[in-house]
Amino acid sequence: MKRRPLEGVRIVDLSMMWAGPYCTKVLAEMGADVVKVESPRAWDNIRTLIPQPGADDPWNSAFYFQEYNREKKSVVLDLAEPAGRDAFLRLVAHCDVLIENYRADVMDNLGLGYDAVRAVRPDIVYVSMAAFGKTGADRDRVGFGPVIELMSSLASLTGYVDDPEPFKTGISYGDPVAGVHAAGAISLALLQRHRTGNGCFIDLAQRQGAAALAGEAFVTAQRTGGAPPVHRGNRSERWAPQGAYQCEGQQQWVVVSCATDAQWQACCGVIGRYDLALLNVDERIARHDELDEAMRDWAASLDAQKAMESMQAAGVPAGRVLDTATIHDDPHLNARGFWVHVENEKMHEFKEAGIAWRFAECDNRVTRHAPFFGEHTSEVLTSVAGLTDAEVDALYSSGVTADAPVNPGIG
Amino acid sequence: MDFPLSGVRVVEIPGGVASGFAAKQLAGYGADVVCVEGLSDLPPLSDDETTYLTAGKRRVDGSRADVSALAVAADVVVEEGTPGRFDVAAWRRYKPSLVVTSISPFGQTGPYARFSSTNAVSFAMGGIMSLTGDYFREPLVSGGSQAQYFGGLHAFAATATAYLGAVLQGDGDWLDISLQECAAGTTELYGPMTAYLGGDGLPRMGNQTRAEWGIYPCSDGYAGLFALQRQIPGLFAAMGDPELLEGEWLDPIYRTQHAEELVAKMYVFTTDKTKDELLAIGRDQKVPIGVALTPADLLETPSLAERDFWDDVDGVRVPGRALAGLEWRSPDRLHTPGEDTDAVLEEWLA
Repeated sequence: MKRRPLEGVRIVDLSMMWAGPYCTKVLAEMGADVVKVESPRAWDNIRTLIPQPGADDPWNSAFYFQEYNREKKSVVLDLAEPAGRDAFLRLVAHCDVLIENYRADVMDNLGLGYDAVRAVRPDIVYVSMAAFGKTGADRDRVGFGPVIELMSSLASLTGYVDDPEPFKTGISYGDPVAGVHAAGAISLALLQRHRTGNGCFIDLAQRQGAAALAGEAFVTAQRTGGAPPVHRGNRSERWAPQGAYQCEGQQQWVVVSCATDAQWQACCGVIGRYDLALLNVDERIARHDELDEAMRDWAASLDAQKAMESMQAAGVPAGRVLDTATIHDDPHLNARGFWVHVENEKMHEFKEAGIAWRFAECDNRVTRHAPFFGEHTSEVLTSVAGLTDAEVDALYSSGVTADAPVNPGIG
Repeated sequence: MDFPLSGVRVVEIPGGVASGFAAKQLAGYGADVVCVEGLSDLPPLSDDETTYLTAGKRRVDGSRADVSALAVAADVVVEEGTPGRFDVAAWRRYKPSLVVTSISPFGQTGPYARFSSTNAVSFAMGGIMSLTGDYFREPLVSGGSQAQYFGGLHAFAATATAYLGAVLQGDGDWLDISLQECAAGTTELYGPMTAYLGGDGLPRMGNQTRAEWGIYPCSDGYAGLFALQRQIPGLFAAMGDPELLEGEWLDPIYRTQHAEELVAKMYVFTTDKTKDELLAIGRDQKVPIGVALTPADLLETPSLAERDFWDDVDGVRVPGRALAGLEWRSPDRLHTPGEDTDAVLEEWLA
């Protein structure tokens, strides 16, 4: 079996929460050796945000942490202590990439800015992914994914018809967007380093990455003299009908989206409304309320899965609104083997999302659960960073490293 | 200028926003992207999408070109559409270093592989739509074409990684990027929570996931307050409500039990303040506060201009680089359809 593309690449990962960890999850799945570094006093909050009730060490058995930190190793070092910083820099000297998603000033305050790191690893690829970047008038602002959605204009594009309230996505959408951008940037930087021998400092502004996912809205804004975005709910500007229609059962919905005349005519056959079949697209857009009513009447007594399948059988774009339960039972995702189980002695079995980047030829299976807190501290510090056993023991005895967070609470 | 992808040839067989965005990113980082048009079985891009996604690429008339010959003359192929249109395995046999990225709504295999889709359908099937919008109204598709953009973003990053692997190891690969899977793996804590704890699907929570994690009206628009436990003291200090600084409100369990009361306090805090005032509070107190900006607002945002964010396409500003540190090539202009056919065929196939 062919090697994965990033085998041989080592990444030291200071990122926390979701944006950075999502990046390194993806890169670890591609074969990178990712070493996650946390502090005894400042661990990744995701470990304890929603702890598993009754667990002796809940920071090692959180489903949220497990999902986005598989395939990584865990090293614990207090970077605010000189001994911790020294051990960290000895580790960095053997790494290809450093990634962090702290507030813009944190790494410099720790004495671990680009210049300090480059002094021990001249060709390091150093990735900073502050919300608004390291430079510019907004650099001191802080933000999580929903802030990014608001400040990038994405939320302004989302809302119900005739309702000015902007809506955020139901997840912290800015996070995975930034994470995937960072993953691509790291591969490009490694490619460039392979060619030139030079590392680089990547200053990724999460807001910019998010705004790039709405490029046409900026064209529209200039074309319309800066008019605010029009909220269309689930409707399309270009075709009709398109909407989410309630099916039988609690919160079960199907989306139908007729992008062509042929699809609309097929849709009319499915819903039994041949009288509407010859409407052209302009007429359908103008009579959208009426068409929605016909669609609602059709869907109301149907099972959502069957509704989708009947439309698709007729060639009409349709999809069930899969929720956080039904998505795990989706026949297609299961047939593709998307859900995986990764053995973890501290957790019971559950369906975890598999790898989104499917390579036809190389073997990129998920093999290892998210690391326990400090699980690999001794191993990595001795075998990679070159510390002696006595030096590692001293880090433990001084509290610079630990096998459990200090005073863990919720969040 | 030394771009990360200088000298790299990319064939884009465009389908929609996803392939357009993936190849746009590759072009921005210096690849020579040739867009072989006229082969798509998907709805065409809108004019505004074309301005954004197609500028900076060379455009070839697919009816005059041998797409397989162009594919094996390239280093990378990005294609989007119904699975099975091309003999990718033959391309890979002919040129083992070739990276082919196939983007589709549901992937190249499986029972839905040939299902029809649009952005809204893909968004529904990825799991995020069920969590978006008001619980008492229908689930809401995010604005723009986020299912397609997010899949395109994944395709860009996966392609860059596969190409790096091809350079390092001498062998490319064939990537199968499913828009559904890109989204299904990013349901934050909600998907894993249901999978682990069991039970029904989690409800949509609208704009207020928790009192201290939500969007509220302000005097000139909408603002969002998003604080984790460690930012709660700063947020409450900024709100200037002495009752909140009493110990019980600092307890997350107490806040959950008194959510309605806290939501009311949030409304009181934001309603009489402007967006600028709230942003200043957030910056000064290091509390994550954002405001709802429109595209027109962003076009006037000094920070983005300072960071050289915008590209210019024939006098229209569009988003450009997401980051500093890697050279970015701004698009020269929007080429006309077929404009580059003769030149590309001469350069690549002569």
